[in-house]
Amino acid sequence: MSSTTLDPSRRGAHAGDVPAGTMSGTSTGPGPSFLRVLNSEFIKFRTLLSTVILLGCTVLVVVGFGALSAWGTGQFSEAAATDPQAAAAFAAQGGDLAVGVPTSGIAFAQLILGSLGVLLMSSEFTTGMARSTFAAVPKRVPAYAAKLLVVMVTAFVLTAASVYLAGLVSLPILDNYNLKLDLASSQSVKMLLVNSLYVAAVAAIGMALGSLIRNSAGGIMSLVGLFFVAPIAFQLIPGDFFVEARKYLPGNTVEPMTAVQHVPDTLEAWQAALVLGAWVVVPVVLAAVLLKRRDV
Amino acid sequence: MIEARGLTKVYGNKTAVAGVNFTVEAGRVTGFLGPNGAGKSTTMRMIMGLDRPTSGTVTVNGTPFARHAAPLRDVGALLDAKAVHTSRSAYNHLLAMAATHSIPKKRVHDVIEMTGLADVAKKKVGGFSLGMGQRLGIAAALLGDPQTVILDEPVNGLDPEGVVWVRNLVKYLASEGRTVFLSSHLMSEMAVTADHLIVIGRGRIIADAPIQDIISGKGQIRTRVRTDQPDQLMRLLAGDGVSVELQDNDLLEVTGLDPRGIARAALDSRVMIYELTPLQASLEEAYMELTKDEVEYHSLITTGAAAPVQTGGN
Repeated sequence: MSSTTLDPSRRGAHAGDVPAGTMSGTSTGPGPSFLRVLNSEFIKFRTLLSTVILLGCTVLVVVGFGALSAWGTGQFSEAAATDPQAAAAFAAQGGDLAVGVPTSGIAFAQLILGSLGVLLMSSEFTTGMARSTFAAVPKRVPAYAAKLLVVMVTAFVLTAASVYLAGLVSLPILDNYNLKLDLASSQSVKMLLVNSLYVAAVAAIGMALGSLIRNSAGGIMSLVGLFFVAPIAFQLIPGDFFVEARKYLPGNTVEPMTAVQHVPDTLEAWQAALVLGAWVVVPVVLAAVLLKRRDV
Repeated sequence: MIEARGLTKVYGNKTAVAGVNFTVEAGRVTGFLGPNGAGKSTTMRMIMGLDRPTSGTVTVNGTPFARHAAPLRDVGALLDAKAVHTSRSAYNHLLAMAATHSIPKKRVHDVIEMTGLADVAKKKVGGFSLGMGQRLGIAAALLGDPQTVILDEPVNGLDPEGVVWVRNLVKYLASEGRTVFLSSHLMSEMAVTADHLIVIGRGRIIADAPIQDIISGKGQIRTRVRTDQPDQLMRLLAGDGVSVELQDNDLLEVTGLDPRGIARAALDSRVMIYELTPLQASLEEAYMELTKDEVEYHSLITTGAAAPVQTGGN
């Protein structure tokens, strides 16, 4: 290793006579406050065509399944009027099937918005955008929190709006079969809010997975594994442990939270809420800690 | 001013940067020269707080980058022309970057104008050529009107006009008193752009000196001379530290004597010479010489291709 001492007579050594005032070495304007970072993340969110398409798909799927479910529920209730066997099955459901109609597309909404959560974070790394993002916000966590907020709020609002729209669309269909659905009833409102919060939670878990795995396919597969494969696998594996553990899967927390009456051998509503909360907090915090530590 | 002290980065069992010390002063263009894989990009990522040093520190104006109150207004960097989401337009990318520091939209338009991206600003970055990507990266680096500008291989993929533009831009930025640190693996590019040169090879600083010192000090002066009396001139020039090689019937290559000395010797002995060309390519060779022990990937093709030229001359 050789190094030569600077010769001040050479060109480039005029650093001392820089015009004062123009450049002082300290910043001359505002830095990345949380609100500014939030604004930036919202711009990033809405300027991707793929995001807009996924959001549109969510509305279509939730409304579509709502309408389909209204029609199916109507057919079922009609059959119950003539077929004693169907009538028995209908009665076993508690008689109020219609209240679940608007949220019948939630399973698909969670898949789309959960995947969106994964993609928004993993694409930062796969495209190299993360280097720009975290050069602008070197503390990193504010950018992560801002993105999380944008994703969760969007998922909540969009799901709530879609579910309400699905309810509106299914009203005339249910009316055909003389089924009543009151969208303002406390149970309807509860269904709407709990399911919307649930989808926001899934989107947050997706984002944490995207941040941890940094790979789109891997993140989405993990999400699908957790929400679609694990419940089935846990059912197939014999043994009390898996029967018990199945209750604690995030996808099985919605029913206890929206049940009119507590169903035996399921979690209490507050327990289910805590379980879902833990499923969100643990990966989200872990992802934030690792994001701060790992190289970009 | 950028200061690295004992800066080290180890990936697994591979040391990318091995305890380097250097200072990049304000008011001049500092080139960061090294072959591919020498540790240039890793060093730059550590300056920007993207990679955590295994040990050592690096500061910008006395503070680690991550602790600056308004990072984009202090330091602008082009680290990778592809550090952009490919599905977003150039304008929206810059707008999102600007939003983090409340940089006005006007500045976004200004840097787009400045980098010649106006026609493609609304197009998706995924369709950009490498040169356009570089321009966008430079636009992003200039967004906060930063005091320190870091550019990793900025001329990669640029057309000749773009290369000249970058050259003038960095000189202008330095003339305003800014700290300009740009990397390249091309010695020839550095020779015309940089005022000061830091040469890195295999994660170690090989040289840290004004460009003139590196060009003249380390490299030997070579001059191509054409004359009708090569034998006579060869005898005249031969001496201590001077070697003359006959390359063709009328072509000599003189090493160790400057063109003026050659012309003087020829004039004194009334030998007519009709070409006297200082070989600036010697920079490249000086660099090769500097780095030949530090290059990680040796290429067989280079020596193979060079061989026929040499045999042809003999």
